[in-house]
Amino acid sequence: MKISTKGRYGLRGMVDLAIHSIDGHVALNAIAERQDISVNYLEQVFSTLRKAGIVKSVKGSQGGYVLADSPSNLTVGMILRPLEGQLDLVDDTIHGGSDGSVQQCLKIHVWDMMTKTVNRIVDETTLEDLVNEYQKMSETTAPIYFI
Amino acid sequence: MNISTKGQYGLEALLDLTIHGEGTHLNIKSIADRQGLSEKYLEQIFGVLKRSGIVNSVRGAQGGYTLAKAPEDITVREVLNALEGPLSPVSCVVEGQEAHCDRYDVCVTRAFWRKIMVELNRVTEGVTLSDLAACYNRGHMKNNQEYSI
Repeated sequence: MKISTKGRYGLRGMVDLAIHSIDGHVALNAIAERQDISVNYLEQVFSTLRKAGIVKSVKGSQGGYVLADSPSNLTVGMILRPLEGQLDLVDDTIHGGSDGSVQQCLKIHVWDMMTKTVNRIVDETTLEDLVNEYQKMSETTAPIYFI
Repeated sequence: MNISTKGQYGLEALLDLTIHGEGTHLNIKSIADRQGLSEKYLEQIFGVLKRSGIVNSVRGAQGGYTLAKAPEDITVREVLNALEGPLSPVSCVVEGQEAHCDRYDVCVTRAFWRKIMVELNRVTEGVTLSDLAACYNRGHMKNNQEYSI
């Protein structure tokens, strides 16, 4: 099962933004360079996130983006769903056959369960969690402030 | 993210085999007919399942397939891993595939994707073909108005 580059880059961009928002807004160029993502692509992604109310833009030549809320209030789900749509694991391929019970049992005990699992994790994990993970990983102790 | 028809149909076929194949073997046509699946596609799927040690084949004109292990020893995870590969949204968190991404060491989201894979592995390990067959039997008992005390 795969997530598209939109979701992956969007999440990376958001974590980068959260980490580097110390002094206010962050230019998309800076994020693009740090994360090795094309600026054009990032523009599309952040435009979607802005319309979804996840980030706010600061206009002008020294402009950029800020988080629209604190990282502890922004879940991964809030970031991924505007970019990826519903996080479904299987397309509902109902096909013929005399035995609907087999498909029903699989739907309940496998597909719905897996979908619920993924949705639970993305809704429980916040941007703050990801930032903490990153800091643990890079062993930095720089404090992060959010406005 | 999604599971393809390989994983979906493979599990349906295996559940069918569990329910209807006990003590005997079933040919692909019978499974395909009952479950409304393409025979040709199932042949491909069963080829993979056989190579993965999940089913055994019985040769000959009256041949077919059996489960290679007891249904309580075949997990959904095992079946999906055989047919779909690792249950991961991205490839870099799969052991041996770290080199798929040259940003592996500095990646800010890797741990998150890994968490999803670990959790999916855990929940799918907890469901076996036996559990699914029990669900099926419960459904059919209700339909036949049988109650056991």
